[in-house]
Amino acid sequence: MSNEVSDKKGLPASYFEYPWRRKGLDHDRFPFRILPRMAPVAWPGKKGVALWVAVHMGHFPMDMPEKPFRAPGGMERPYPSYWDYTQRDYGNRIGIYRLMKALDARGLRATALMNSVLATRYPALMKEIAASKWEVAAAGVDMGKIHHGGLSEADERALVKEAVTTLRGVFGKSVRGWHSPAHSQSMRTLDLVAEAGLDYVTDWINDDMPYEVTTSAGKLTAMPLDWDMSDQRLLFGQHMATEDFTDSVKRAFATLSAEAASTGSGRILTLTITPWLMGQPHRIRALGELLDHLLAHGNVWPATGSQIVDAYAAQAKADQASP
Amino acid sequence: MLSEPGHYDYAPYTGRPKIVWPNGAKIAVWLAPNIEHYELEPPNNPRKVPWPRPVPDILNYTHRDYGNRAGFWRMADTMAKYGVRGSVSLNVALCDHFPEIIERCCELDWELFSHGTYNTRYFYDLSEDQQRLLIKDSRDTIKKYSGQSLDGWLTPAITNDETTQHVLAEEGIKYTLDFVHDDQPMPMKVRKGKLISVPYSLEVNDVPLFQLRNTPPARYTAMVKAQFDQLYEEGAESGTVMCLPLHPFLTGAPQRISALDEALAHIVKHDKVWLATGREIAAWYTEHYYDAFSSWLAAGTPGGRR
Repeated sequence: MSNEVSDKKGLPASYFEYPWRRKGLDHDRFPFRILPRMAPVAWPGKKGVALWVAVHMGHFPMDMPEKPFRAPGGMERPYPSYWDYTQRDYGNRIGIYRLMKALDARGLRATALMNSVLATRYPALMKEIAASKWEVAAAGVDMGKIHHGGLSEADERALVKEAVTTLRGVFGKSVRGWHSPAHSQSMRTLDLVAEAGLDYVTDWINDDMPYEVTTSAGKLTAMPLDWDMSDQRLLFGQHMATEDFTDSVKRAFATLSAEAASTGSGRILTLTITPWLMGQPHRIRALGELLDHLLAHGNVWPATGSQIVDAYAAQAKADQASP
Repeated sequence: MLSEPGHYDYAPYTGRPKIVWPNGAKIAVWLAPNIEHYELEPPNNPRKVPWPRPVPDILNYTHRDYGNRAGFWRMADTMAKYGVRGSVSLNVALCDHFPEIIERCCELDWELFSHGTYNTRYFYDLSEDQQRLLIKDSRDTIKKYSGQSLDGWLTPAITNDETTQHVLAEEGIKYTLDFVHDDQPMPMKVRKGKLISVPYSLEVNDVPLFQLRNTPPARYTAMVKAQFDQLYEEGAESGTVMCLPLHPFLTGAPQRISALDEALAHIVKHDKVWLATGREIAAWYTEHYYDAFSSWLAAGTPGGRR
């Protein structure tokens, strides 16, 4: 048995320096805010909880690069993985139509977080999305084109421009939101998104309510897209049963409803779903039952991302001034 | 390299001196919220890369930030509802970043102990002097913001090095949480001074349960209840310790907070429970049982069915 304790010289002095150790966060994009102390926000009709259905509409190229990391849902098997490619493409062929039907039947409009390449690949699908009056937010070009710190500014600007220009070419100025593929950003992404004329971003998962973000090209609103309660993380990444996923959403809704009542401030339940997962035949009824459960509450404001951003922005001054 | 930690000898779960907690309690239950800050741009440690994705890993960074903005406040209210205090495993730089959180902890009479400076600054490969420097920072910062003494320690991200426990004892730390080898406190073998382990948990811990596996909330409650029921029953023979480690960014999420609520409702309805802090457990054990356990260990753990 060995009993040698390694002789160490330790780490360089820089390991014990803390350049950002100060009051507030360790960056300047937005101030620290305490959720229960934010200025109250009222939703239209004095409803307690805004229901935001956000649908990830992705395209996963079969030859997508693994760098700088493989996006969740990326090709998990060796090239050429028809398994992975077609399982995801099923979402754009079949699953999305089930989602549209389930939402249409309940008078709900989703926000599609869309890779722009889908607009050129599947024009028929774009017409259907428009017919369901869904909002479209730009979600980069495709799932192989990750925004990250290793991209040059010019390359990243070109990606943002391609996504926004393509989608605005189809859906016009109604394209106001941004989602970076796989929730990944460089330090510049926010600046480039604001520069492209968008209003809100959905990548940061640190709050249940919107807040303002500073960029070099004006303000953006951060919207609380869910990740820790998204179908992609739970059903696909962590193999949760469908019923446990819908039970989690119901629990979140109960918590947020109670908080809306006790604080007098609206809350947001974000239902983040994916056509190739929630649009499967064995899951679509569970989605319908979940939506019925949420809507039966009566205290719900079904809204798109833009509608929530506008309602928040109209009241944001009070929030920015709150302690 | 060491082939074992070397801080304890084998001790069977039979024949031990009988522990009785205050007021005849059979089990000491303590909740350890890990209140942490992970830096957006941390320095590299030679043995552990801080983020799974390249910096800036905004997904994982903001997920943890959720705990401080939203999850903590919800969790603190739920614990207060049942009169259960927390013993905070604290990245002490958080005192500087978010003093509002520390104020709330103090208002609720929670204990603060150290979980290092940031959860992105590890103890791997530090010299003993460097470890001492960080322990002093923890002691000074906790004193400054809460007036409390630094009694407990959980190495940040459990990245202790081989010498850490010795240094902790020499710096006057009273209890360590780097060991999950037992359901009762145990004397630690250290070069100098006196140090005990207080049971922590990686089983009923929300990181493996929610972050790594996303255990359904109802399953989480069932596991915590089962853990409690068994330790409560065994506590009749000799008092046990149940630690419930929590992370506000996980358990404080709206889909999970009711799972904690239901678990606490179950625990507090039992009468032979001591709802304690880590410091209180360590103090009671050290005062009443440290010598008895040390003698029993020194005598070769007599008793039991042998």
